[in-house]
Amino acid sequence: MDSSFKIVHQTRPLCNYFAMAGNIDAQAEAQLMGLPAKVNQQLVKFDFSDTGRINSMGIALLLRCFKRIKEEKKAEIQVMQVNPTNTMLFRMTGIFLLAAATKE
Amino acid sequence: MERNATILAIFADSADAEAMSNYLAELPEVISVTADRSLATTLEQLAFNRIEPALTIIPGTLYPESMPLLVRYVRCCFPNTEILVIAQASAPPPSLERFMADQVRHLIVEPQQISVAAGGDFPLSLAIGNLIEKRQWTIDQYVKEGTEIREFKLTFSEEKEKIIRTLEDAIVGDSPEHEMLRHKGALLADEMLENAFYGAPRSDDGMKMFRKGERRQILPQENIAFRFAFDGETLAMEMQDGWGSLGADLVLEYLAKNSANMEAADDAGGRGLFIIWRFLDQFHVRVAPGKETLIGGHLRKSSQIPPETLHGFHITTG
Repeated sequence: MDSSFKIVHQTRPLCNYFAMAGNIDAQAEAQLMGLPAKVNQQLVKFDFSDTGRINSMGIALLLRCFKRIKEEKKAEIQVMQVNPTNTMLFRMTGIFLLAAATKE
Repeated sequence: MERNATILAIFADSADAEAMSNYLAELPEVISVTADRSLATTLEQLAFNRIEPALTIIPGTLYPESMPLLVRYVRCCFPNTEILVIAQASAPPPSLERFMADQVRHLIVEPQQISVAAGGDFPLSLAIGNLIEKRQWTIDQYVKEGTEIREFKLTFSEEKEKIIRTLEDAIVGDSPEHEMLRHKGALLADEMLENAFYGAPRSDDGMKMFRKGERRQILPQENIAFRFAFDGETLAMEMQDGWGSLGADLVLEYLAKNSANMEAADDAGGRGLFIIWRFLDQFHVRVAPGKETLIGGHLRKSSQIPPETLHGFHITTG
């Protein structure tokens, strides 16, 4: 399985949808730091169903990305399809303070 | 050399003493003391009689919240005693800031009351043995005797993914617990390897020498080695580097900072170490300043301690 990181962006009705595929680590920096500029809706959904490992650098990048979306775009962030290990990781590192978990 | 094997066990009350009585009864020299009004007098009397416990066991029900000065007082009476705090996972987590101030470097978090019959004393018996005998924590202590220990000496940063795949392949089983253990093991290996590649190498002025994610060759004198073992239930792993750049006080500071303030976590250092600590059932760090750092621990397939709560640790030097 290809574990390199990719973001697939779709504009859906009234929201921006980003599917996060692969491992999220230092290699994801350029893509994640460029992501806030693509946000043009008040609701942003992140789909983690194809996400592999997220290490501490990946967490740092997600926190930076989410903070910029909230501060610069004033948008609400939702995350979905997060596996159990990454859910634990999100709980203990403050990701869920910036983004709400949702099923859809 | 003859070891002083006297253990001082301070209990909050009789129920607290009863919970540990089965295990402590088997140890040769245990002095049990209840933390009542006469505690200070009792400790002073022991010191006056030249009894110097090698180890003092303190329950989380007493320290740090109920009796924040307890460790300072114990150390006044017994300057060389090691302090081991035992906390219940179901109780409010103890303040790591107090641990930092008092340099308390040994904590065991029990998922429930210690049950010897259920094998619940394992981290406790290991800790007491290691602390009394002045032994270091090693991964072979966590797994069944005879379990193979796999070792990888690193030469290039790109070897990380291959090592992680080897670890995942070693955890054979289709149950959700096996799947979870594979995920957690992979994350732990990732963090340990990244720490050795990019966190440990420091210049003379303490600055990091490499940027996370950059491809780099590992020099032989860096002595970076990763080891793991899986016995069907317990996954044990450790990472060694020849830099010795992580201070014992800094370890506790990183754990405390990242535990206390998640909203500031983006800017707090040591997040990788914090993740390693919280995903392991028991975490050990050994620091020989300027010579070596060893980070390791173990994780059970049927682990009952969620990563969101406080976990045990042992931080040693030398």
